[in-house]
Amino acid sequence: MKRCRSSWLIGSCLALFCVVQAHLASADAVSRVNVTPTTIPMGVGFNGATLQINGEVPAGSDIVLRFVGKPREEHMRQKGKVFGLVWMNRTALTFKNVPTVCLVQASRPFDQLGAAAGTFTLDRLRQAVKVEEASACDGDLDVPAELLRLKQQEGLCRESVGGVRFGPETGGVQPFEADLKVPPALSPGNYTAEVVALKDGRIVGQAAVPVTAQLVGLPAWLNNMAFKHGTLYGILAVVVAILGGLLIGLVFQGKGGAH
Amino acid sequence: MTSLLYLYLPIAGNSVNILAIMGLGGIVGLLSGIFGVGGGFLMTPLLIMMGIPPTVAAASDSNQIVGASTSGTLAHLRLGNVDMKMGILLLIGGVVGGTVGVQIIKILRQMGDADFLISITYVLMLGFVGGYMFVESLQAMRKSKAFASQSKKESRYAQFIRSLPWQMEFRSSGIRLSVLMPLELGGLVGILAAIMGVGGGFIMVPVMVYLLRMPMHVVVGTSLFQILFTCINVTIMQSAQNHTVDFMLALLLLIGSSIGAQMGAKVGKKLHGDQLKILLASLVLVVMGKMLYDLLAQPAVRLAYMGGH
Repeated sequence: MKRCRSSWLIGSCLALFCVVQAHLASADAVSRVNVTPTTIPMGVGFNGATLQINGEVPAGSDIVLRFVGKPREEHMRQKGKVFGLVWMNRTALTFKNVPTVCLVQASRPFDQLGAAAGTFTLDRLRQAVKVEEASACDGDLDVPAELLRLKQQEGLCRESVGGVRFGPETGGVQPFEADLKVPPALSPGNYTAEVVALKDGRIVGQAAVPVTAQLVGLPAWLNNMAFKHGTLYGILAVVVAILGGLLIGLVFQGKGGAH
Repeated sequence: MTSLLYLYLPIAGNSVNILAIMGLGGIVGLLSGIFGVGGGFLMTPLLIMMGIPPTVAAASDSNQIVGASTSGTLAHLRLGNVDMKMGILLLIGGVVGGTVGVQIIKILRQMGDADFLISITYVLMLGFVGGYMFVESLQAMRKSKAFASQSKKESRYAQFIRSLPWQMEFRSSGIRLSVLMPLELGGLVGILAAIMGVGGGFIMVPVMVYLLRMPMHVVVGTSLFQILFTCINVTIMQSAQNHTVDFMLALLLLIGSSIGAQMGAKVGKKLHGDQLKILLASLVLVVMGKMLYDLLAQPAVRLAYMGGH
């Protein structure tokens, strides 16, 4: 009797495990994603990077790609008019839940992808940004929208359409590949490349791959010196500048002098 | 995505076009060599326009001015255009004045609206200095043609500076002055420079010309000599306290500006003193006009990161 009850319990657990696994597999398997590279080296010649993303999605799906950084707090100043005449930095504002980077790329225009796609737009990001002491804001300015505009100017927030290539359908799935350009203003740190498959206005698959941006070579050495040995770094910067100035001065003297 | 034309700047956190930055350094260095100004009031806004954060732009610019003014001072030393005695006295006054100015700005920030006062001081100073130099040089150029032989009557200001104690001979400048004059005026420029966050070259040059009565060619070399030491101090302080000096950016600017400064020293030598003054006055007035426009026109984005002006 006891053995029978144990067998029933084990069987139930196995069944539950299989159901959960099958569900997870359906969500993951639809978008088996590869991102290259997963580590972005930021060396002397770094001028942004291009991530190559490929995988498989259910046939007939659309795709939204995202490259996002961890949300953080931003301290800003709102510009306002002084004496109704001069524009100056005035009210101090703190924004919460601001992603360091948010690059969104869709295979078709967002308004053609249905309601679920709205979750991934920059406008939704704007709504998620919280302003501390919003009452301090001057006038009726939409400050999260201004923040987003500033980030767009820096290339750290972007919403674009196209650039996703689909392969032929086989067995209900369709391969895809896309290039996602990452800006040079990227800070070293951890990011996530996300792929979302959408069909008939709903999400049919989603996958995320961690991507790390890290300083290498001379930039890594200089950054370490500047932040850990600031005074020594400053003295070295001055010595090199003086030597450089003297060297160029001597070169000019050698070529006929200043007279 | 790497390119030979681009260089990643780890402190600025962005990549820049090497030729564009060197070209910018070259143009500002040329002006620096001609007029004896550090060029910070021109370089920093241009770097910000190229995507460099304001604090990094200002601090790295100080670093490159160290190199450019070394090169420029060397060139002017060879031409006999540096009054070392005057430069050292102005420097002592400038260091004391700068320290006082830093305290004044701290008090202003606590009172609020400090940014407003800084900007207004900037525009008024640029407007006053540029306007006065422009008008005076224009008059001097006309007078020199019309009354070349007319002897000058000693002004009340000249009588006043002759009556001050501790008179000293400044051979390189060919003048006799009280030690108090360069010390006090250096202090005044130091205070203004600290409040405005600039090296002070464009205030120091008119002070040397009009208040210390130094000949224009000696003014340029002596100003560069003084700026060299001011910027050494700023570079080390900024590196130690704010970590905002981007050495790679400074090096690129330096290559351009040092070459520009050498060429500038040669061009300056060929120009007449009044021509130099009127050109510098025009430059100062153009920068003033740009700053005034920025203050009055509605900005494209009405938010700024904390720390920038």
